[in-house]
Amino acid sequence: MSFQEALNSGKFVVTAEVGPPKGTDIAALHHDIDILKDKVDALNVTDNQSAVMRICSLAICRIVLEHNAEPILQMTCRDRNRIGLQSDLLGADVLGIRNVLCMTGDHVLAGDHKGAKPVYDLESVQLLTAVDSLNNGRDMAGNGLKGGTHFFQGGVVTPEANPLAPQLAKFEKKIRAGAKFFQTQAIYDIDKFKEFMTFARRFPVKVLAGFVILKSAGMANFLNKNVPGIRVPEDLINELKAAGKEKALETGMDIAARHIRRLRDENICDGIHIMAIGMEDKVPVIMRKAGLL
Amino acid sequence: MIITQKKDRKELLENVKGYRSFFLLGCSECATLCGTGGQEQLDELKGLLEGEGRAVAGAFVAKTGCQVLGTKVELKKFKEELGKADCIIVMSCGAGTQSAVEMFEDKAVYPANDSMFLGNMTRLQMFDERCSLCGECILDKTGGICPVTTCPKGILNGPCGGTKDGHCEVSAEIPCAWVRIYERMEKTGRLEEFKAGTLAAKDWSASVKPRKLTAREEKKK
Ligand code: SF4
Ligand code: SF4
Repeated sequence: MSFQEALNSGKFVVTAEVGPPKGTDIAALHHDIDILKDKVDALNVTDNQSAVMRICSLAICRIVLEHNAEPILQMTCRDRNRIGLQSDLLGADVLGIRNVLCMTGDHVLAGDHKGAKPVYDLESVQLLTAVDSLNNGRDMAGNGLKGGTHFFQGGVVTPEANPLAPQLAKFEKKIRAGAKFFQTQAIYDIDKFKEFMTFARRFPVKVLAGFVILKSAGMANFLNKNVPGIRVPEDLINELKAAGKEKALETGMDIAARHIRRLRDENICDGIHIMAIGMEDKVPVIMRKAGLL
Repeated sequence: MIITQKKDRKELLENVKGYRSFFLLGCSECATLCGTGGQEQLDELKGLLEGEGRAVAGAFVAKTGCQVLGTKVELKKFKEELGKADCIIVMSCGAGTQSAVEMFEDKAVYPANDSMFLGNMTRLQMFDERCSLCGECILDKTGGICPVTTCPKGILNGPCGGTKDGHCEVSAEIPCAWVRIYERMEKTGRLEEFKAGTLAAKDWSASVKPRKLTAREEKKK
């Protein structure tokens, strides 16, 4: 079942992600893909995440396909103009990549090439429009294509954004631009997320709640302090703290499993996107704890 | 106005070390307001050069350094001083420097400043960039606040996920342009217009360099 079919089937969908490495040694990446591929419905491949230069998402998506797993091509607007983006999208299509996640992308100042020229010829909404146009056999300039693309395209949204109203307005613009699914920034406050979902359910789109595995109270505090749009509530931080150093990761995984169960059992959203960031082997453990395996 | 900053003086002196006699050219407009090309800065550089044993044949603050013809007329009375100088140091923006290059075909011309951006003076000698001269103004659609310039990503359709308590992910010193735009659209009763509209990708062909414009209408015969 493809990612799109899985979402449409009504099952609780699980996606995880792999981050292409910096350098050509991809042994660890092969290993991560193998751990995850039969467990999740699709694997996001990040695009020079945090503006740190690494292997391109496109090449690794192809490798994911070669492992018989389904990739979601993350595409940011930071490094390519509209010619480069459309050209890569055509290339992705002929390589058999079917899912694309359109994002504006972290600024180059967040990364390891701070002197690079940020492109942002397009941004997320316009990239979604471009994908829709390519799917319909035309490029952004209106030229006909000899063969259109076949993408299932999605976007990202930050339910904890402060202020929230402008973020929600943009969410609607993304839907109008053709987004079919959303993966959210990591959420930890399920009651608040439910409010967001009440809004999101008004639209014909699928939503996967984002979740970054918490391995300690320190990490939770770090996320709160440094990552815009992430808010780990105080009670979860206390729970991690109380677990002590030895048991913190275990507790973090329990929290993840508990959240996933609730999201699924209360039918709050359509699935979960687990960001393991180096702890890919923990994803199946969490899924088992949550009763998904 | 064009915001300029003084080049590091050591670097400047190094750049012009091969010349003996100088003419300093300032500008009474932006560069004076920025404190980079007014009388005071001319005197300062003159002192610096003379302290190094170099001659300053003359110095003048032009009315508008980027106005080529006007500056040329103003400089007529410095014919002698300019004749003595083998190098002209221009203390205005890059445009002013190039006015001098155009006027003095066979004389060395060096910039004393770095040109930074087009900005507004918010307080005395404090400047904010507000417009990047994109050639296709969309302020009519964004409540009068320019996202092309004041959002570091130039996003045209709402905030990215990096907004943190109304500030930009790039720096907590930058208010998020899209939060400002949203709030202004709300205050001015234009929220529906903002929500309903999606701005298409900009046409950057409107800013292909170098740009040229003839604003005067040719007189009908
Ligand atoms: S949209 Fe912004 S950059 Fe373009 S002309 Fe208007 S103010 Fe200047
Ligand atoms: S936080 Fe706001 S100003 Fe900063 S890049 Fe994102 S949208 Fe632009």
